[in-house]
Amino acid sequence: MMGGYGDVQLLNEDGSRLDGRKVDEMRPVSIEAGILPAADGSAMVTQGLNVAVAAVYGPMEAHPRKIQRQDRAVIDVRYNMAPFSTSDRIRPGFNRRSREISKVTAEALESVVLVERYPRSKIRVEIEILAAEAGTRCAGITAAAVALADAGIPMRDLIVGVASGKIEDTVVLDLDKAEDNYGQADLPVGILPNTGEIAFLQMDGDLSPDEYNLAMEYNFKAAKEIHEIMVDALQRRYQGGEA
Amino acid sequence: MSQGQTGAEQRLVTPGMTIGSSTGKRAGSGIIAENETFVATQLGWLREINNTVSIDPIHAAYMPRSGDLIVGNVAEVRNNLWFMDINGAFQGLLPMSLAPWKVEFGAARQHMDVGNVVLARVQEVDECHNVVLTMKGVGLRRLNQGTVESIPVQHIDRVRGENNATLQRLRDACDCRIMVGENGRIWIDGEPEGITWARKALQMVASDGHTKAFEAILADMEQEQKLKGDA
Amino acid sequence: MVQLVPTLLRQELARLAEEDARIDGRGRWDSRGFNLETDCLYNAEGSAKVVLGGTVVYAGVKFELRTPWPDRPTQGSLMCGAELRPVAGRKYEPGPPSPQSIELGRVVDRGIRESGCIDMESLCIVPGEKVWGVMIDIHVMSDQGNIFDACGLAAIAALRTAVVPAERFDVGEDHVLGVKGTPIMASFTRVGGRFVYDATEQEELGGDERIHITLGDEGHLHSLQKGLKGAFTPAEFTEIFDVAQERCVELRKLVAEKEGN
Repeated sequence: MMGGYGDVQLLNEDGSRLDGRKVDEMRPVSIEAGILPAADGSAMVTQGLNVAVAAVYGPMEAHPRKIQRQDRAVIDVRYNMAPFSTSDRIRPGFNRRSREISKVTAEALESVVLVERYPRSKIRVEIEILAAEAGTRCAGITAAAVALADAGIPMRDLIVGVASGKIEDTVVLDLDKAEDNYGQADLPVGILPNTGEIAFLQMDGDLSPDEYNLAMEYNFKAAKEIHEIMVDALQRRYQGGEA
Repeated sequence: MSQGQTGAEQRLVTPGMTIGSSTGKRAGSGIIAENETFVATQLGWLREINNTVSIDPIHAAYMPRSGDLIVGNVAEVRNNLWFMDINGAFQGLLPMSLAPWKVEFGAARQHMDVGNVVLARVQEVDECHNVVLTMKGVGLRRLNQGTVESIPVQHIDRVRGENNATLQRLRDACDCRIMVGENGRIWIDGEPEGITWARKALQMVASDGHTKAFEAILADMEQEQKLKGDA
Repeated sequence: MVQLVPTLLRQELARLAEEDARIDGRGRWDSRGFNLETDCLYNAEGSAKVVLGGTVVYAGVKFELRTPWPDRPTQGSLMCGAELRPVAGRKYEPGPPSPQSIELGRVVDRGIRESGCIDMESLCIVPGEKVWGVMIDIHVMSDQGNIFDACGLAAIAALRTAVVPAERFDVGEDHVLGVKGTPIMASFTRVGGRFVYDATEQEELGGDERIHITLGDEGHLHSLQKGLKGAFTPAEFTEIFDVAQERCVELRKLVAEKEGN
């Protein structure tokens, strides 16, 4: 990911980014809840050109038996990129990247869902990326949170996925594809807006302590904005429903 | 209606939303108290009754409770028991001893086979969600005729209404026998026309928040019944 | 996962069939209404979304440069695959592609391929060296019945709106794919003893065999498939074949409308 740094210009003369955004500006986000009738809960998150869809099924009996926990539910996450979601087609099936993202996403969600309410159960969370332009794991986490709420699953907060990073020695919010490819760092996190905690954290690249702090500041600011859109999506779905 | 939600005072809350101070109030379902503040844990309508703050969830899975009347489907038969799909996270277990017949060991299948539909009651639920069912009791039986409609569990109260008033109106209007299972399954039996009506009304309830449409269909049915009666 | 079929559901479907009625009030040959959207996914060279009742599917087209098969040096290739991932419903489980998803992909593939709507010669760039491989991937997001027709429609609509990304591969200018026909699938399921068009999930659960018919612009058959347990008579086929002709003409118009945009 670091490779191209220096060759590609990612900031304009006036300090704005190639797509015209300010350094602390995220791509436009829109969210729709309850879009998949077969699922118990679902949501679609569009962030810039990214499209992430999440479906939730359960709680249901955990199978096979060996994954059952006597004291709580397990959350079974599958993050998957559709074959047509990227510039070069992806062969269907799991790969190392999607397995890792699925694992840490599941653990992040287990930190917010009141899993102890459902011993021996499983809650399935299916995250499908239909269009990928950097930042899909974060869009996936946001979609999963709205889908879980839509499914009526009890949680102590609505987790929000956001990322900041560094391009041309400048900390910026919400990297797009070019910035991700040619940038210097990426810091995707899952933030609980109500408690101010972090339940998902990854990072790669190179950040100084000060840059880390600034990137986190941007992330918290963006999480607040996205959280409002999430709440609005859920309220729109159900408050408009009265015929 | 126990959860009429047309009023502007009704507030739709989302998980993590702070509701206000917990001082002097009790946390009901869907609410937790953190640092003397109530926090919502579910998507739903906020409600405060007798100093208890709770949430009527928008979407709820069926959680069996002892005493619930349910409509189950036989999923598996063993020598001395049946497993039932009860629309919950776990299957319910009906032991031979709680069946309405005298069953010989190994002859369970002769009484009920996979796919059979039954009206049963939840005998007990332990903390690990093991569900034991019983078919001993008035009216509990294998359902050999009629049809089953499914509606979301959280809308069961709308179908029943205050003191079952709505349910009784529905029964009268379509002239059908109707049994409401707590697990979101409703058994209907009667003349074809009545079943069709009842199904249409219940499908209205099933699609989110269409209380008014349900009322309208019910009123239409009653009107037509009245005309028939006059003729 | 094997699904449980309640006896009362089969009884009720049989009773409704006697009255020539359906469980959701539709007529025997009515669809739930197809909702088609094209060009909806950024990275796909052609894309479509179909909503049919509670069924939601996406199709995306991608291109790749490859060397032609030695015995067909001047022909490109077409591949259509479907994924029935666990997102689509409670009954779907993770794991390698299931026989159902392979059947689904292959039935859609045959309908498109055999209609001849893609001229394989037109996918040739340098004979014997470089041809286009066209890949249609279908993603079922929500299954509430009749995913076959939804997938068939999404696939052909995505294909017909696809743009060949020649510039990105440095082999000329981007151009439309140039699809010469619009093969359309119509599926029928035996419910309560007789066939109906566009079955719901409930009708499929309590029903028997299904028949998929793909028809080209001239009304010719290009693909047939009978699935699930059951057997039908020639007279029954004649009846649904006539309905298929009508439904396919309607859906072909729908695709044309979307292209007009």
